[in-house]
Amino acid sequence: MRRTRSCRVAGLIAACATTGAGAVPPAKVALTGGRIVPVAGPEIEKGTILIEHGKITAVGASVELPFDAMEVDVSGKVLFPGLVNAHDWQGLDIPNENLDIGAALDVYDAIDPSRLFFENSLRDGVTTVHIIQANNCVIGGISRVVRPIGLDVDEMTVKPRAGVKMSASPKGGYDRMAQWAILREAFAELADYRERLAEQRYEEEQKKLKKDVDVGPAEARKRGAELIRPQDYDDAHANLHELSQGRLDAWVYVGAATDVGPAVKFAKDNGFFERVVFVLGPDTFKAADELKAAGRPVVLDVNLDFRERDPLTGKLKETFVPKVIADAGLTFALLPHPDASLAERYLTYQAARCIREGVARETALAAVTINPAKMLGLGDALGSLEVGKAGNVVVYSDDPLDFNTWVEQVYIDGILAYDRAKDVRIRRLMEEPGAEEKPKAPAGDSAVSDPAQKEDKPGAGEGATDPAKPENKEESQPDSPAPPTPSPEPGDDGASVERASDRADRAESRRRKDNSKSKGGPDA
Amino acid sequence: MRRQQVVGNRQQATGNRQQVIGSRQQATGSRQQAAGGEQQARGKTRRRATAAALGVGVLALLTGVSRAEEPPKLAFVVGKVLVMDKADTVINNAVVLVSGGRIERVGKASEVAIPQGYRRIDMPRHWIVPGFVDCHNHTAGSLSDLNDMVYLSNPGLDTLNTVQPESDDMWMARAGGVTTVLLIPGSGTNISGFGTISKTAGQSVSDVVVRSPGSIKVAQAGNPERYWWGVGRMFMNFNTRQTLEKAQAYHEAWAAFERGETTEKPAFDPIFDGFRGLFRKEFVASVHTQIYQVVMTTVDMLARKMDLRTVLDHSEFDGWKVAPLIREALAAGRSIYTIQGPRAYHLDGTQRKIHGNAARWWQAGNPLLGINTDAPVVAQEQLPFQAAMGCYYGWVPYEGIKGLTRIPAEALLLDDQIGTIEAGKQAEFGVWTGDPLDTRSACEMTVIGGRIVYDAGVRRRW
Repeated sequence: MRRTRSCRVAGLIAACATTGAGAVPPAKVALTGGRIVPVAGPEIEKGTILIEHGKITAVGASVELPFDAMEVDVSGKVLFPGLVNAHDWQGLDIPNENLDIGAALDVYDAIDPSRLFFENSLRDGVTTVHIIQANNCVIGGISRVVRPIGLDVDEMTVKPRAGVKMSASPKGGYDRMAQWAILREAFAELADYRERLAEQRYEEEQKKLKKDVDVGPAEARKRGAELIRPQDYDDAHANLHELSQGRLDAWVYVGAATDVGPAVKFAKDNGFFERVVFVLGPDTFKAADELKAAGRPVVLDVNLDFRERDPLTGKLKETFVPKVIADAGLTFALLPHPDASLAERYLTYQAARCIREGVARETALAAVTINPAKMLGLGDALGSLEVGKAGNVVVYSDDPLDFNTWVEQVYIDGILAYDRAKDVRIRRLMEEPGAEEKPKAPAGDSAVSDPAQKEDKPGAGEGATDPAKPENKEESQPDSPAPPTPSPEPGDDGASVERASDRADRAESRRRKDNSKSKGGPDA
Repeated sequence: MRRQQVVGNRQQATGNRQQVIGSRQQATGSRQQAAGGEQQARGKTRRRATAAALGVGVLALLTGVSRAEEPPKLAFVVGKVLVMDKADTVINNAVVLVSGGRIERVGKASEVAIPQGYRRIDMPRHWIVPGFVDCHNHTAGSLSDLNDMVYLSNPGLDTLNTVQPESDDMWMARAGGVTTVLLIPGSGTNISGFGTISKTAGQSVSDVVVRSPGSIKVAQAGNPERYWWGVGRMFMNFNTRQTLEKAQAYHEAWAAFERGETTEKPAFDPIFDGFRGLFRKEFVASVHTQIYQVVMTTVDMLARKMDLRTVLDHSEFDGWKVAPLIREALAAGRSIYTIQGPRAYHLDGTQRKIHGNAARWWQAGNPLLGINTDAPVVAQEQLPFQAAMGCYYGWVPYEGIKGLTRIPAEALLLDDQIGTIEAGKQAEFGVWTGDPLDTRSACEMTVIGGRIVYDAGVRRRW
C-alpha cells in the first residue's frame, strides 16, 4: 500500500503523476542497455541494473533477469546514482526558527511535501535531500533525510534525526562573542542540568528503597549519574545530551575562516567532534590547513568562486573553492543553489565546473553522490550504483555532466518517481511560442472543453453554471496532472525534436555570446 | 495572580518535562499587560452587561418568547421537508408536528392528522430544512475577547466567559436559518482556549449554551506566526504537540488514579483539567488549518497519532490534496470532519487553474465534508451561500445542504439531538421559501427548541 501511494508523489502532486492511481509499481525493475556510471568502480559501457524490492541486486554488463522483472530498455542513455543534496532548508516553511537554542525542535514539523522544491529535485535528478534548517541560528533543530516523494513526511523519510544544526558564526544581530557565549552557556547548562538530574534520580531511587538520602549533594550526584535513564531527559536537553555523547551528528556552520579554530575546539570539548560536518561559508576555505588538520568532511558554499579585491592595488583575486578543498584532501559535498533560475541549481553543473577547474572527475562526482551519503551516515545505502544499495537511479539522456543532458527518468527505491515524457509542466514550459493556439485534434480525441460539452447536452441553456454536475467537469480526479496539453503528439518523438531544436537555439546563442566577448570583452 | 498559577501548574503537570522555552521572563511583561487588560475588560463587561440586559428586554417584547412557558404545540404544513437522514429522505407536501420542544412526528400531509390544540402554520410552498450548524463562529461571544495571546498556547482559556446570548449577530444568524454555532477563540495562538456550542437564540448564557467545552481550539499554523518574535511551523507544531501531550499525561495520570491503579492522587490542574473530555472523546479539537503541509500535520498529529476527534476548519488552498491520508485515517477508525470555508476556491498559480475547495475535497473521496463561515469573516447568515459557492465550483447541492446540517452536527457530537428532521429530535429548523442553496431563497421562520425564534411575518430582518 505504501508503495502504491508513493507513485502519486507529493513532490509531483501538481505536475506529473507517473503511474495511474492504484497501479502497483513492479517489485522488480531491470534497466538494460545503458551506459552505467556507478561512481563506485569503473564505468560499464552497456550494462544492466536490476532493482528488486527497492534495492539494487545486480549491476553489470551481463545480468540474468528474473522472469518477473519489468525490463526498461535504456539503450543510449546513461545511468547514474541518484544525486544527494547534502544540506538544504528548502522544503521547510521558513529557513530558521528565531530561537537561540532550538535543539528540541525537529524539521519533521515543518517539511512541506507539496513544495515545488521537491518536484524540482526530481527533475534535477536528486533522489535524497537532507532537510536541515539554515545557518542563521545558534543551535537549530533536528534535521532529517528525505526522498522527494511521498504524501507525508513519514513516507518521505529516509533517515530521521539526521543531525543537529549549529552555527559557529554569529546569527543575525549577534556578534561572535554573544554567539559563543550562548553556545557555551547551552552546554554548561546541560552539564548543570545533568547534575541536578543525577541528584534527583538518586533521591528517587532511595525513596523507592524506603531509605533516607544519607549523603551530601556532591556524593548523591556522583551516585545518581548512573541512574539517569534516557527518558529522564526533558525535551530541551535530550538532543543536546545525545550530541554530547557522540550519538548524534552535528552540522556546524563555519561562515568564516576565523570560526574554524573555535568550532573544532568546541566540538572536541563537547564530545561530538567525531560526528561533526562543517558547513562552510564563502571564504572559510582560507582555513584549509585547519580544516585539513581536523580532517572532518565539509559542505561547500553554493558559490564556488570566491572573489576579493586587494585593498591596496584593487586587483581582483579569484579562488575556485572546491579546488582548494580537494587539494587539501578533504571529503566534500557540493550544494545546489536555492535560486531555481540559476545554473548552479543543478548539482551536475556544480560538479562539471569542478572538473573544468581541475578537480578530478571521480572527486567531483563523489561530491554530489557518495560523499554526502557518507556524511549522512548513509554511505552503505546510497550514493552509488552498487549491489545492496537503494534502487535510486537517474536515467540521463547523455553524460550527466553535459549541460545539454536531460534527466529522462528517476527511480527511487525502484519506484519510477519521475518520467520526463509525462512531465506536463516541463512540456508546457518548453512549448514553442504559439503552440497553444494550434488547432486542436479532431473531436473525441483530446479532452473536450467545457463549452463544447455543454452544446452537446440537451437543455444546456438552463443556467450557465449548473452546480449539480461535478462529474461533467473536465477532471474528476483531483490528483490528476495539470490541464491537457494541446500539443499534437505528446510522445517521445515530439520531445526529442523539441530538444534538438532547443539545443540548436542554445548553441546559436552561445556562439553569439562568444563572438561579442572576443570582440568587446576586456580580456581581448 | 492567575497567570502565576498558570506557570506554576504547568510545571507541576509536566513533571520532569520542563517548559523548554524560557518564556518566564517574557511572561512577566505579558502578565502586567494582562493585568491592565483585565481592568479595561472589567469596564467593558459592565457596559456589555447593561446592553445585554436591555437587549433581552427588547427581544422578549419583540418575539414574545418567555422561558417560563412550555414550548408551544405547532403543526407546520409545508411543501417539502428535507429530512437529511441516512436514507436521504425527502417528503413532499408534509406535516411536521412539534411539541415539548421536540419534533413529534413528520410525514406526508395525507397521512398525518393534526391533533387538537396545535397551532397550524400553513406554508404550503415552503421547505423545512434542519437548522444550520456552523462549526467555526466568533460572533456568539464578544469579539474583543477573540484572541488572548499571552503565550503561544493558552490552554486554560474558555469562550464560555465571553458568550453573549443576545446580539445583533445572533439575530442575523437565526434569520439566516443558522441555529447552532460553535463559538471558538481566534487563531492567534496555537491553542487559544475552549469553544462553546451555543444556540443562536435565548436570553441567558444557560439558555443558549449547549455544551461547554464544545471543543478545544487549535491553530496549527497560519496566524500564530505573528506571535512575539515570529515563529515557524517547526516551533509551532512542537509547541502544540507538547501542550497536548502534557494534557494527555495529566488525563492519563488521573484516569489511572480513578481506575484505582495508583493510590497517589495527582495534583489538580485547572488548566489541563478541561482537556480530559477531549481525551475521553466527549468533545472535539477544532483546528484552524489550511495549506497542504498544515492540514497534513493536523491529520497526522491530532487524528492519527493522538486519536482525537478532529475537525478540520477552513481546509483551504491545496489542503484537499490531503484527502488520501484522511481516507486512510478514516478507514483506521479515526474521526476527521472537514469543515471547509470561508474561501470557496483556490487559484493555483503553478497549474494556472481554479480549484473549488469543497468540490475537490468531495471528488477526492472525503465524505465528511461541511462548510463554515468563520463569522464575522463571512456574515453568519451567509452559511448556505458558502455551500452554494462550493456547488458553483463543482460540489453536489444535496451534499452541500448535508454539509450545513447533519455533517456538522455529527462533527460536534450533536447528531443525537439535531441535524435532521426526525421524530424525537429537537425541533430546530428553518422554514425556507425554497432551496436554501438558491441565493434567492429566504428563511421565513426559524425554530429552535420548539419555539419560533424568528418570524419574518412578525418582524423581517431583511
